[in-house]
Amino acid sequence: MTREFRRQRTSLFTPAPVVHALRGVSLDIAPGERFGIVGESGCGKSTLLRIIAGLDQPTSGVVEVDGVDIARLPERRLGFLREKLQLVFQDPMSSLDPRMKVRDIIAEPLVAQGKRDTLPRVLELLEAVGLQPEAADRYPHQFSGGQRQRISIARALAPDPQILVADEPVSALDVSVRAQVLNLIAELVDRLSLTLVFVSHDLSVVRHVCDRVAVMSRGEVVEIGATEQIYDAPQHPYSRQLVAAAPRLRAALAGRTAADLAADTLAAKERP
Amino acid sequence: MSTPTTTPGYAGSPPPSPDRPAAPADVLRIDGLHVQVGDLELLTDVDLTVRRGERVGLIGESGSGKSLTALSIMGLLPESLEARGSIAVTGVGGRHTQVVGAAERELAAMRGRDVTMVFQEPMTALNPTMRVGDQVAEVMRIHHTVPDRRAAGARAVELLDKVGLPDPAEAARAYPHQLSGGQRQRVVVAIALANDPALLICDEPTTALDVTVQALVLDLIVRGVEARDAGMLFITHDLAVVASVCERVLVMYGGRVVEAGPVHDVFTTPRHRYTRGLIGASDLDLTRPDGRLYTIQGSVPSAGRFPAGCVFRNRCIHATVECESVPPWEGPGPEDGFACFHPVVVRS
Repeated sequence: MTREFRRQRTSLFTPAPVVHALRGVSLDIAPGERFGIVGESGCGKSTLLRIIAGLDQPTSGVVEVDGVDIARLPERRLGFLREKLQLVFQDPMSSLDPRMKVRDIIAEPLVAQGKRDTLPRVLELLEAVGLQPEAADRYPHQFSGGQRQRISIARALAPDPQILVADEPVSALDVSVRAQVLNLIAELVDRLSLTLVFVSHDLSVVRHVCDRVAVMSRGEVVEIGATEQIYDAPQHPYSRQLVAAAPRLRAALAGRTAADLAADTLAAKERP
Repeated sequence: MSTPTTTPGYAGSPPPSPDRPAAPADVLRIDGLHVQVGDLELLTDVDLTVRRGERVGLIGESGSGKSLTALSIMGLLPESLEARGSIAVTGVGGRHTQVVGAAERELAAMRGRDVTMVFQEPMTALNPTMRVGDQVAEVMRIHHTVPDRRAAGARAVELLDKVGLPDPAEAARAYPHQLSGGQRQRVVVAIALANDPALLICDEPTTALDVTVQALVLDLIVRGVEARDAGMLFITHDLAVVASVCERVLVMYGGRVVEAGPVHDVFTTPRHRYTRGLIGASDLDLTRPDGRLYTIQGSVPSAGRFPAGCVFRNRCIHATVECESVPPWEGPGPEDGFACFHPVVVRS
């Protein structure tokens, strides 16, 4: 699959330059799998995610969800995807409408599907994500970052989806809250037998949550495999660099300094 | 580590005493710093010392007061905030500045010369309408550390070369938007090191950068500080980064320093319950028997919502009635100790 974006023309006589956001990306995600996508800013992971979620269309290629090619479907025929696949975004402040009460936020996907009497389901979801029933009548600004992310997760789970797509769901959270939200995602995915697609720039977070991971760089998937294998023995120079550059508490306490980190990162790039 | 002992005469922190000048090697000495807005206390009784050639980390989650501490040292607090206590800076050539209550003129002479700072977001720290070479030259021209304009320009190119920008002469003519995030942060580091400061304050300098770029920028900062034998105060929420960069660390929560000590000791045998929880929650390699991560219950309260007494007690499973009063500081001094009634017991 590819995705190209046309940039603004710089001259009347030359064609507009093209940005190759995704270049020949192919991957399969099995039902019930916990799949991670890792890469640095600008590698195309968010573009890939938007296409998987049917929010954007590829320039060429096929995206099948349960055997249906969603790449060429018009929005009005994507209703099945909206029920089947739900998203959790990075920033829980900008992804929740500040003027809606929590009960309306969580009920919105249900209302969109024409369901009525949503309150019992909303209360059930609040409990599932570890919030009090009183939360239903409050507004997003009355919650902390971690609690807002719980609200986002409750909204995503409202239509009882089979696939949960999370785009950097913990990178805006404090360390002490990050672990809570990661645990919650892992628990819900287990309990509801969800397929998880988890995007992050942090390989150690993905490693904790996912079975299999794809490493992306410059719009391409450079390596794909079992998480442990990529974490312990990365093959592609870019994955090696990613693993080498990440500071780890234990290694640092054992005497790995910033100079070692930098040297390992450069060495990983150059090693054949 | 031996079991902590209480030193008589060191309960909480001593009152700021003007008759106790900073030792010659101290570039920064903070005694009993309080910052408040109206009746709301944002920083309480912060003690912190940084010596020449020493790298000190300040860790904590958002709202713990670490950035406010940095702004206090730079004399950059908003006018609505009121600071009490002592912040003594011993700058280049032994020049002494008492930041609390200092006139703007005095602070302007200190900033960018004795104490410099690297901020989190390089795009907002740089002037978008000015070539980066001129921005590096500007800080030297303002403090007259170079004889003239031409020398400043040449020195700027040299500094940009030192921080690893490819083709520094060309880079000096670029505007910030023409550089990548990592390159921009290198420019900010060049500006911060231009006048060979006595103290470099880094506030989350690599949080906005990709991990492979982070490794290189951290190395660059450490080498720059070492080459100048400057002190460094490194603020971050990332424990692994602090452990890679610093020798000593202070843990902040709710506007207080709750634990301090050598990095290795604090991270391997934490004593305060919050430090212990924070380390557990950060370590993604460590899981509970059920495969889940260790967590701290609840979330960080917003400013002014921290409980009285021990600031951590509403999230601490070990909290008792005793914790409703402020725990005294236990340990040999402000550089090594903790404030907790129910510390983690060290098994020997």
